[in-house]
Amino acid sequence: MSLDYVKFSGGFEKFMPKEYRDMVEHGPFGKKISVSQMGSFKEILEEHPMCAGCAMTLFIRLAIIAFPNPEDTITVGTAGCGRLAISQAAIPFVYGNYGDQNGVASGLSRGLRLRFGDKPKDVVVMAGDGGTADIGFQQVLHSWFRKERFTTIMLDNEVYGNTGGQESGMTNRGAVLKMAPLGKKFEKMDMLQMARVAGCAYVASVVPNNPRRVESVIKKAVLIAREVGSTYIQAYTSCNIEYAIPTDKVMEDAKTVENDRYQFTEYVSDEAKQYLTERYGYKDYLPKPAASAAIPNKA
Amino acid sequence: MYLVANISVEICAAKSCKLCTQYCPEANTIQYSEDMGKDQGFKYGSAYVAVDRCKGCALCVWVCDTMAKNNAIKMTMIDQLPLAAVTDNIRYEEKSTVAVLSNPMIVIGN
Repeated sequence: MSLDYVKFSGGFEKFMPKEYRDMVEHGPFGKKISVSQMGSFKEILEEHPMCAGCAMTLFIRLAIIAFPNPEDTITVGTAGCGRLAISQAAIPFVYGNYGDQNGVASGLSRGLRLRFGDKPKDVVVMAGDGGTADIGFQQVLHSWFRKERFTTIMLDNEVYGNTGGQESGMTNRGAVLKMAPLGKKFEKMDMLQMARVAGCAYVASVVPNNPRRVESVIKKAVLIAREVGSTYIQAYTSCNIEYAIPTDKVMEDAKTVENDRYQFTEYVSDEAKQYLTERYGYKDYLPKPAASAAIPNKA
Repeated sequence: MYLVANISVEICAAKSCKLCTQYCPEANTIQYSEDMGKDQGFKYGSAYVAVDRCKGCALCVWVCDTMAKNNAIKMTMIDQLPLAAVTDNIRYEEKSTVAVLSNPMIVIGN
């Protein structure tokens, strides 16, 4: 529901659902918020059944706060841990059946464009590494080849965490898991490169130990997906149960992994750079002044 | 009994880095209140924990000790806390929250 479409008649506010009134009065609906204000407003995400100290939940929490227009956003997910938290939010969540989340999101984003025209309605897919790279791989790649305008976020915990620890395409080579006792025999899939080859306008990899960076990446991806094309974010969100990480060391592990194999990378297509600069005033992509002009002549 | 995070207002209100509010995996669990430190004469407000939502992962303890180097958060048995904030007693204001502290062991039915 958007504030621009739903207007309360005087005296009828109290008949709106409680979560909607909370979001308008104390939450982010109709306002601009950022991660630095966390803890002082009512969040869209509510209590959820995820494990204690789960980095995936932290990422989902940051991602939902970073949505540029949360009241105009619909999330899509599939089987996996992530949907347990994403569905406990005050914005609509569509549950795609095993692996068809990007197909569902394609139809949804096209339908919303037919119904609402130029008015931005954001569709964000958040699925695990199994849902994106294994079970839903075909639909994910095809949605990118078709340049469907929505954001795909992979919550990469490098394992099937919800079903007891089977190896996924995104598990690292040699990793020994409860249901993969001999260790994985082939390399981790390079989905970032695949997204670029398939024509995504924005591709980024992040780790949730830098909330501001997560915020900026999600904002850019959702804005670019409004008009330019598909966007893809791959986030390392460790599974502290299957990888036996003590809950208080989750961020330490995120830092180690970031330095080891999950460095922050960002690819923005030229068209997307131009769109962000002209439409939303991003200054990062303006042509840099020539080096000689930047250094004042001391002579 | 079980452990929940407990933030020392004296240390937190002197620094007010707000890092723990950004790293907690639970929504609206580590909250921030302008009044909580200032009413005791400190410079800033303080973070506090809604103990009914805390799952006791101690991620905030690592963040406070290692990243912020403030050592303001300790894990405490919930029955050892004389007063704590619970979700039902938290009010949202324009740019901050206000919590009425109560004994977390006494649960008032709906």
